[in-house]
Amino acid sequence: MDIFNGLLLGLSTATTLSNFAYCFVGVLLGTAVGVLPGLGPIATISMLLPFTFGLPVDTALIMLAGIFYGSQYGGSTTAILMNLPGEASSVVTTLDGHEMAKQGKAGRALAAAAIGSFFAGTVGTLFIVISAPLLASLALTFGPAEYFSLIVLGLITSMVLASGSLLTAFGMALFGVILGLIGTDVNSGAARYTFGTPYLLDGLDFVIVATGIFGLGDVLANLENEHKRIASVTHVTSLFPTREDWRRMSMPILRGTGIGVLLGVLPGAGVLLASFSAYALEKKISHRPEEFGRGAIEGVAAPEAANNAAAQTCFIPMLTLGLPGTATMALMIGALVVQGVQPGPDILSQQPALFWGLVVSMWFGNLMLLFLNLPLVGLWAKLISVPYHFLFPTICVFIAIGVYSINNSVFDVYMMALFGVLGYFFKKTGAEPAPLILAMILGPMAEEYLRRALLISHGDASVFFTSPVSLGTLTVAALLLLSIVSPRFRKVREEGLQEAD
Amino acid sequence: MNRREFIVFGGTAAVLASSKIALADKWPSKSVMVISAYPPGGTSDIVARLVADLLTAKFGQQFVIANVAGAAGALAGGKLARSAPDGYTILVSGSAPIAANKVVQANLAYDPQVDFTPITVVAESPALLTASSNAPAKSLQELISYAKANPGKVNIGNPGAGTKGHICAAIISLQTGVEINHIPYKGSPPLLADLLGGHIDFAIDAPSNYLPHIKGGKIHGVAVTSAKRIGEIPEVQTVAEQGLDGYNQALWFGAVGPKGMSPEIVTAIHQAIKEWSDTPAAKEKLTSLGLTPVVNSPEEMRGSIEREIESIRPLVEAGLVQPS
Repeated sequence: MDIFNGLLLGLSTATTLSNFAYCFVGVLLGTAVGVLPGLGPIATISMLLPFTFGLPVDTALIMLAGIFYGSQYGGSTTAILMNLPGEASSVVTTLDGHEMAKQGKAGRALAAAAIGSFFAGTVGTLFIVISAPLLASLALTFGPAEYFSLIVLGLITSMVLASGSLLTAFGMALFGVILGLIGTDVNSGAARYTFGTPYLLDGLDFVIVATGIFGLGDVLANLENEHKRIASVTHVTSLFPTREDWRRMSMPILRGTGIGVLLGVLPGAGVLLASFSAYALEKKISHRPEEFGRGAIEGVAAPEAANNAAAQTCFIPMLTLGLPGTATMALMIGALVVQGVQPGPDILSQQPALFWGLVVSMWFGNLMLLFLNLPLVGLWAKLISVPYHFLFPTICVFIAIGVYSINNSVFDVYMMALFGVLGYFFKKTGAEPAPLILAMILGPMAEEYLRRALLISHGDASVFFTSPVSLGTLTVAALLLLSIVSPRFRKVREEGLQEAD
Repeated sequence: MNRREFIVFGGTAAVLASSKIALADKWPSKSVMVISAYPPGGTSDIVARLVADLLTAKFGQQFVIANVAGAAGALAGGKLARSAPDGYTILVSGSAPIAANKVVQANLAYDPQVDFTPITVVAESPALLTASSNAPAKSLQELISYAKANPGKVNIGNPGAGTKGHICAAIISLQTGVEINHIPYKGSPPLLADLLGGHIDFAIDAPSNYLPHIKGGKIHGVAVTSAKRIGEIPEVQTVAEQGLDGYNQALWFGAVGPKGMSPEIVTAIHQAIKEWSDTPAAKEKLTSLGLTPVVNSPEEMRGSIEREIESIRPLVEAGLVQPS
């Protein structure tokens, strides 16, 4: 199927009443959780995942994807108006966005963020259209050795990019790998770390761990500072960027989009790295770097464009290789597998309506978000003044129902509660859970592909270095690992992440 | 739950149940739970849902699916074994929890031959041995002679350790004495992708995903594991036709109840499934899943269970399949 026919099919899939409606529900929910600090897309998607089992698979994926990229828009609203990043990837937006708001340019900052996001979303979607079929046709040449190397790269990237100390990130990743090993070994069928209970024979469900850590854990952490939370919202005046604004933000949006598109595809990097890198780049090449941090519109437009571009393109490795680059993408795979759809090179030929429908719906979703976010921005800002004591019981109930309905198992709800406590502990100790979650997915995959590659090659490890793709990927991973040791890189990393705190 | 707890529990359930059997003539007077042993979406779950729907339509009570996934169906089997045999709980699943688990799982909490009442097999499907385009053999005899000339060099992928594909390959290895490296995958799609990409030479799996690629000439059909060839690819011979006398392996899906279920209810469910399977709609639906409707009787199903177990037992004893 060529791209034109694909887009036509996508258009007919995405414009059915239910798909259109669920796309809207998705972006609406996404914006809401993006606005609300402490409730991110991972928790929301894991909560809603079981409720999508009854939907057709395309509708389910369209809605879940909408939540994900919708939250990228919503996150910037509170970042600009209240200096509260609703979403981790909006952290850099607070630097200049809130400064602009303080100078009475809130509307222009919001417009820069939304326009940047929309442009990046459009380009990101186009990029999927062109590169996903290409990658899918290449994917068959990827054997176990190539997959293994890509996964190693993803694991290392996620560690290097985690906030906080590297040692903590490394520890979290190792812990994640161990959690991922629980269950029946694929190769021998042996039970590992199951403590003799049949409930653990299939391993820990990643959705349960993610819901516990990101859902319940965040609720617990938020309860603590509930009385401290003050919602002072800056008043929004004109939403129209001036001619000068357009001139200053057009190139940063282009560059941010480019960075986001590329980093979104890199396994393990995701949206956070995209927004940080875009901000750093703009600051570096700007003629007036002194304005950054004091309300430079470039510092809003570029990272917002980058995080939204990455939010679209990180679907590419997930859909075409079945390789989740981020925890959110791992949830998407979960949503697909439950419905009997295996992401991978075959998805374009087996599920063309799903693939193209998703892509077209992403563009629709971005368009809806543009309109949802600009005129209605005041409404979203009000959402934050909803007292948390109304929100948290609702969240808890949804989390519990969601987790129970995955396997109809009370054991899972207990496990989720346990990981909620653990998530709270991570929050208090400043250990970022993202590497843990990703390692829990990628660790067992790495083992599976490593052992399969060695089984097929009869124990000859040179297969990892004779394939060019594998060798190249491993080299990048090694360089990344080496760069941590270099004091100069460490300084850059710490500065970059400090700005985030 | 360990075995001792289980026996106590089962005994209590049997006593409680005996009083209810008398009510069998009014069955079903409330909704019935149909346990599905796998997560939603897989073939086994689709079969369970088809059966639940047909029974709902036939008896006018809701037959509600409960997905109890995990441990290759052992959790679902355990749940059924602990249920009262009053006809309000049945299990519909692939053969693992109903048969194979008895020999491939070391700590199974129930004995499927003792603790279940067979109702009927619903459908079955052969497994198919396929070869990649650059594989060193295109027929079973070529494969065997290649394996004899190059010991330890033959890799056959299967969709999971202990699955039918694994067992089919292990039986070939047992009957011919050649060494086969079993390469387990997590389900069919990654196995098919590696076969198409030429990263693995052979695969044994349920045929439905492979047929279009065989017709497209991207992979070769080597042998069919059942006694009959597959209609869509009539040129591919069976394993038995290629020299392994008596070789006949099929994956099947069936319905069972707990021990001591009343024969009237068993017959009622069996009859309903039988009637449904003769309709064109049912045949079409099952064919689209790569399945053939095979509704036998409760007694025949007991035989299917025993044959399945006895065909795997020697593999476990020979160390070709490791119990977990």
